[in-house]
Amino acid sequence: MLLRLASERATGALLRDRGTLYLVEGQVVHAESPVAPGIDVMLSATGRLRPDGWTQAIREAGADGAVGRYLVDSGLVSGGELEICHLGALFDAAFFALAPSSGPTRFRYGAAHWIGPVRPVAAEAVERETLRRRALLDRLWAHPETDTAPVVPSPRSARPRTAAPRQRAVLDLADGVRTPADIARALGRPAFHTLIDVRRLAAAGLVETPRPAAAAAPTPPSDVARLMAMSADPDVALLRRLRDALEATL
Amino acid sequence: MCWGGFRVPGIDECLLHAMRLPGVRGAALVDWTSGLALGTVGDAAGDDHETAAAETAELARMVAEHPTFAPLGTAGGPETDHGKNPPVEDLVVTTRTCYHVLRFVETSFDSSVLLHLWLDRTDGNLALARLRMRDLTERLVLE
Repeated sequence: MLLRLASERATGALLRDRGTLYLVEGQVVHAESPVAPGIDVMLSATGRLRPDGWTQAIREAGADGAVGRYLVDSGLVSGGELEICHLGALFDAAFFALAPSSGPTRFRYGAAHWIGPVRPVAAEAVERETLRRRALLDRLWAHPETDTAPVVPSPRSARPRTAAPRQRAVLDLADGVRTPADIARALGRPAFHTLIDVRRLAAAGLVETPRPAAAAAPTPPSDVARLMAMSADPDVALLRRLRDALEATL
Repeated sequence: MCWGGFRVPGIDECLLHAMRLPGVRGAALVDWTSGLALGTVGDAAGDDHETAAAETAELARMVAEHPTFAPLGTAGGPETDHGKNPPVEDLVVTTRTCYHVLRFVETSFDSSVLLHLWLDRTDGNLALARLRMRDLTERLVLE
């Protein structure tokens, strides 16, 4: 549907159940998803933009659909920063909005977003990048449950020595309550980047999804088969998991 | 970026300035966590800009995340920084015919972006390129 809208140079909003893509003359100009932190969250989380600066920008330029331009013209962010942050938010939200789903897809012709023009992207590039990102996640750790479930640090992990600084920030917030999307919002980072960090941490055996309380009826053979199929080059973390799965059968 | 005929310096301007350096074949601004090329100009090293960006990101991540190159608790990389600004400034790959210079971009918000410059080894000037890239990446987030 996105590529068809691009070919007819459509302008409006493509609404899906996990997000919205905004098009101007067939190019993607913005995207939003409930899962992905918005550009306002990313610019505010580290204090780059104070909340009142953001409120003022919306008030002054929101109705004209030129908030991006206002932020730069008033010196609140530089042109380069706005483009970097906006592209990050666009591809991040598009990844979730374009995820396979059985929900309805609608297009509202003429709808525009208040951020206004920043740096439009070809629809083909957005679609291609979304597929590449999905493949990248599966290559890192082929267990999508870590994308949506809260994670906790693995009790056996020696975290200070093994987690890189950016991943440690994620690890510090992994409390078994926050989902990766919550962690992304707290850090002001794209949600996809947090999915990558969480899958890398899971692959390294540093985090795990909390075992459900009803884990009394495990199905180890399929777990074992899945673990075996996962990698032709088993590492220590994998062997530990394998051992745990086998012990659970005894 | 162009608003009402008025150009605002941004990613493209940064890359076009980089292309003026002697011996440059191509330049790209890359997000090194996702492997996305935020902007590209000139020729791509390897097959295409997208593949080059993904591979560049992988190399940068190895350097940015390993304590040998990016120790914790040192100047420029305090523990509270959470890796917002990697202590590594740039890295240089020398092949028989080319240089690749990867310069990490420091932004005031949380990001993981680098500038990748692909230079001809005969015509390029590595020292000049490194100095200019520092200047360009600073201007990218200040102007």
